[in-house]
Order: sequence, then structure tokens, then C-alpha cells
Amino acid sequence: MTQVPQEPAGKPVRHKFAKKLFTNAKEGSLPQLMIAENENVQSKFVVQKVLELREQGVPLDEIAVLFRSSFLSFDLEIEFAKANIPFLKFGGFKFIETSHVKDMIAYLRVLENPRDAVSWNRILLLIGGIGPRSAEKIIDGILQQRTATSTVASFWEQYHGYPEPVRELFSLLKSLSPERVPPADKVSRLVTYYHPVFKNRYDDHAKRKKDLEMFEQIASRYDNVGTLLADLALEPPNESVADITAPGHEEEFLVLSTIHSAKGLEWNSVFVLYALDGRFPTSRAAESIEEMEEERRLMYVACTRAKEHLFITYPINVYDRESGLILTKPSRFLEGLSENLLEPWVIQLE
Amino acid sequence: MKTYTIKRAPGELHLVHPQHFAVDYKKELNAAQYEAATSVNGPHLIIAGAGTGKTRTIVYRVSYLVELGVKPEHILLLTFTRKASQEMLRRAAIVLDHRCERVSGGTFHSFANSLLRKYGALLGFDRSFSILDQGDAADVINLLRTRMKLDTKQRRFPRKETLNDLFSRSVNTVTPVKDLLAADYPHYLELEEEIRSVHVAYQEYKRAHNLMDYDDLLVYLMKLLMEHEAVRSELSQRYTYIMVDEYQDTNKIQAAIVKLLAFKHQNVMVVGDDAQSIYSFRGATIRNILDFPEAFPGCKIITLEENFRSTQAILNVANEILHRAID
Repeated sequence: MTQVPQEPAGKPVRHKFAKKLFTNAKEGSLPQLMIAENENVQSKFVVQKVLELREQGVPLDEIAVLFRSSFLSFDLEIEFAKANIPFLKFGGFKFIETSHVKDMIAYLRVLENPRDAVSWNRILLLIGGIGPRSAEKIIDGILQQRTATSTVASFWEQYHGYPEPVRELFSLLKSLSPERVPPADKVSRLVTYYHPVFKNRYDDHAKRKKDLEMFEQIASRYDNVGTLLADLALEPPNESVADITAPGHEEEFLVLSTIHSAKGLEWNSVFVLYALDGRFPTSRAAESIEEMEEERRLMYVACTRAKEHLFITYPINVYDRESGLILTKPSRFLEGLSENLLEPWVIQLE
Repeated sequence: MKTYTIKRAPGELHLVHPQHFAVDYKKELNAAQYEAATSVNGPHLIIAGAGTGKTRTIVYRVSYLVELGVKPEHILLLTFTRKASQEMLRRAAIVLDHRCERVSGGTFHSFANSLLRKYGALLGFDRSFSILDQGDAADVINLLRTRMKLDTKQRRFPRKETLNDLFSRSVNTVTPVKDLLAADYPHYLELEEEIRSVHVAYQEYKRAHNLMDYDDLLVYLMKLLMEHEAVRSELSQRYTYIMVDEYQDTNKIQAAIVKLLAFKHQNVMVVGDDAQSIYSFRGATIRNILDFPEAFPGCKIITLEENFRSTQAILNVANEILHRAID
């Protein structure tokens, strides 16, 4: 491993840069700390409050619900669905991580870098009758025969010795390999080749097909495959189309997000879910000061996303399997905060 | 009338009287933002609290540098996402003019990718290398693990995702695998040797098949800059003004890259908020921003504290949460 240049020794240790945020805008109403008797009450509170805010003229896309970990919003998602409140969740599966999109990328990668054994393995396994062992053998054979002729163009010559379906794939890839074939054409012909496999593999292929169409669309914006692949790997499109066009999706939607994914964003009204000690901060963070301080910064990031309304909620009586404890206390970052800063409320069921 | 042009020395800036700027920087920015946007030479650390107009400040600094006659191609703007740099340059182009769109912008990874396509041969890579994402990397590791027959033993061996996480953190936190094992997976400590051998095999496999994972992009860029003086000089002369956004979420390798790129001029402005450093699980270290003044002696610190987003009631809670952090 290459060594990182050494830092000078004996420097002072600084823990933070002092700063105090202020605004010349209005004072605003006090942020609220909402105590719920259980998780579902917490969810019902958020739903009712969201509807109230909307009545007051705050559009849904000016509202966000933030949480420490992705699983903390599952119950709320069910309540939102019941109340017909459209939302998008961030921090889940990405377009590029769905397996059919990965298949397409693998074909293109082999075209671009024929030594890419990882992608070879993926696309050979898509061929009926080829298992991991025979795939490995074929790959070894391909790479051994062809390392001598290392230029991409000559790589695709002579493929008669391979099994029938591999020959078919080779002949397709050879016809697509010249650089003058535009990326969109390459993708479109690969989609045609891939289609029977795809239909066979996925029960929900009709829904997934939109992703392949989107892929063709993205490819049409590029004039070479190398740049397309680098961009897809480094800055993947956020959502699978299957998610965005999910039933019930309207123009205006509320955002559910992990705090990490909310970095840099802002909303009129923000809910911070599960501000419960053991969930936020997580119980694991208690093991080190550094981790605990990072949890504190997460809480800071969450609160500073809000422009006008900030609701911090936590359920009590949550059983924590890891520690075997029942969690009942608010996040330690909020405990002891003056009521003149953060107003505590108890949620009551009618 | 005929014109006669006096040539400028490379890197020499225009002397512009404030009245002659196309943009009224003083009017558009508050005092701290103005000071940051109009700082030119030497290292600068901009501590930008949440909602204090950080993006605006960067946009106006790009515009200011271009007005001073810095060639847009000589400005490098590194951001957390590519969208962020595109947005900033688009806005700078609106504030000033289209020259701002020619500024070199992107993420550390995309910047490294483009340089390695060009100079990778110096490190033995073909320019057509593929980039492995996390899933691919785990698959390769799994393949090697099977090949090395480490999956068949009676005792438990870490899963492919665990190994990938270990290797990645070892690389971008510059920590030996052994130390990470001791801290997070003490039950695997006795397998340290086997785990290290998988790591070695993983590195060799990637080389043999012209592959790089995300961490490699950064590591090999650093290596290129460290070991090839001609490239380092060329790049340091090309990027005479370096700006890095979200500096609180950079890792050690990225900080080393910044330092190497700036070695000829020290014209580095990093922008960020130590209070918003939240990516240590990906190998980022808050130490980069906290220790920047020591890494770049003579650095000027400017703090943005006026918030344009939230009500004072919300800021009071946020300030209080932070105030209790250890000093």
C-alpha cells in the first residue's frame, strides 16, 4: 500500500471551530419535542400533523421526515399509505444496483474492457446451461488465448472454438465493438439480445423493462461507452424508474430520508423521527466518544434542515433486542434542554 | 485603431479596480461571504455553518477569480456530488458569463478517473480499465475466497461484504487490517493472516484484469502524484486555484491529493462545516478540516455564521446541541 505523507508531529489537537448561528429573520415558533407512547402513535402523530400543515398551506414537497436509520420509518410508511399521502424515500436501492441494470452494464463493460473477468462471469452465467464452473473455464480460456492480442479491436477476432451460445454472444459483441457504433445503438441491440433471458429471469419483467428503456435513453446522451460507464459507476441516477412511477405517485410528494441523504437540503417543516436514546444515538455509538460525537453532529444536521417548523418525536417503551433493554429516554442530545428552547408535548389518543 | 497587446506572465492576474468589476460583490454578499469570495492567493479555510450561503459564496468566488483573469481551466472545483459542481458552475455562469462553465469541476472520484485514463499507463493500467462498484468488489472477493478454499474450513470466515468493508476502510482510513479487526471483529483476529492473503489476492486480481474499485481511483491518483514528479508539476501548474467543498467529509487520501496538487502554489480554499461531519463510516475524517490550519501554515480562517434558512427558535436548539459537544 502507498503511504500517505506523514503529518508534522506535535500539533495541537482541536475538537471544533467555535461558531454560533444567528439570523436576522423572525424568531418563529418553538420547536416541539413530541412524546408518543409507542411507535404507531408516533406515526399517527406525523400523519395528522402533515395533513394539518398542508391545510395551513405548506405543500407536501416542503415537508420531510428524517431518521437515523432506514428501518425506522417502516411503520410510518404504512400509515402514509393508508392516509394516501404520497412520499419518496431516499437511501434505498439505486437504479444501478438493480440486477437487470447490472446485467446490461456488464455487457458494455466487456465491450470496453475485454479483460474484465467479473463482467464476463456475470454475462456467461446468464446463458442457459452455463454454471459457475464452466463459466470460469471459458473465461480462463478466453483470457489466456487473447492476452497476446491485447488491443480491444483484435480481441473479438476468431471465436469459432467456443460453445455455441458463447459464439453467438461473441459475434454480437464483435459487431458492436467498433467505436463508431453509437452507445445508444449498442445498448439497444444488447437489450434485444438480453430480452429473452430477462423475461425468463424476472417475474416482474414488465415493470423492470422501464429501467432498460431509461438505460437506452441515458445512453443516447453519450458519444462513447467509456464515459457512459464511468458516469454510471461514479454518479449513478438515484432511483429506479420502477420506484418513481410506483402507483399513487403524484407531482407533489413528501420526502422520507435518512439524515445522511438529507445533507445540504432544506424544507419548511421537518420531522425528526425516533429521537430515542438507543436508536438515535444508536446503542452501538456508546462504545466510543468519536462515534457519539458524530451522532451529535447528525442531530445537528437534522435540525438545521428546517426552515420554520421542527418536530422531534420519540416513542417510549421500545424493546431493544441487541441490549435486551427497554428504551424509554429521549436522545441524550436533547435531554435537559430548556423548555424555553424545545417545548415538550405528550401525544394523547382521543 | 490598431491595438498593441502586452503579454501577461503565466499566472499573473489583472489589476481590476472594484468599480470595474462586472459584478457588485459587496452588494450581493454579506461581510464574511465577501471576504471569502474575494480572497485569492494562499490557503483559506471557510467554516460555513448550516444555511449560511456556502454555495453562494463559492459561486461568487469562481466569478471573482474569472474576472481577475484566471483562466477557467485553471480553477479546480471538487464537490461531494457532480450535481453540486454542475449547479455551482451554472449559477456562476449566470452571475458573470459563460466562461465560468469551463471551470474544471467534479467529484474526487470523477477527477481521479479522468486523470487515470490519461496517465494510468505510468502505473501499468490500460486506459480502458473498468470501475468496480461495491457489489462487484464483494463478488470478486467471494470468488477469490472460494478459489483459496477459505470457505470450506470448519471455522467461520468473514462474509464477502465484511471483507470488502474491511479492505475498503483499511485503504481509505490508512489503517492496517489488523487494527480494524481488533476494534470491530476481534473474533476474526486469529484469521488475520488468511484475511490479509485474500486482500493481496484481491489487489493482484484487479491489476491482472484491468479493474479498479472506488478506493483504487483515489489511491492510484495519490500514487501517481507522489511518484511522478513531472505529472505532479504539470497538474499543479494547470490547477492554480483549487477549491474543495464539503471538506469535513473528505478522507485522508483526498486530503493528501489536495496537498500534492497544490504543492507549487498553496492556493487552496476548502469550504465546510466541522459540525456537519457525518461520513466517518465511509472513511471520512473530521481531522482533515480540524487540522487544515496546521497542514497549510499561514492559512486564513473565515467563519460564516449568518443563517438564511431557519428561524432563530430553530437555530437556538441547534446551537445548544452543538454547544454541549466536547471542546
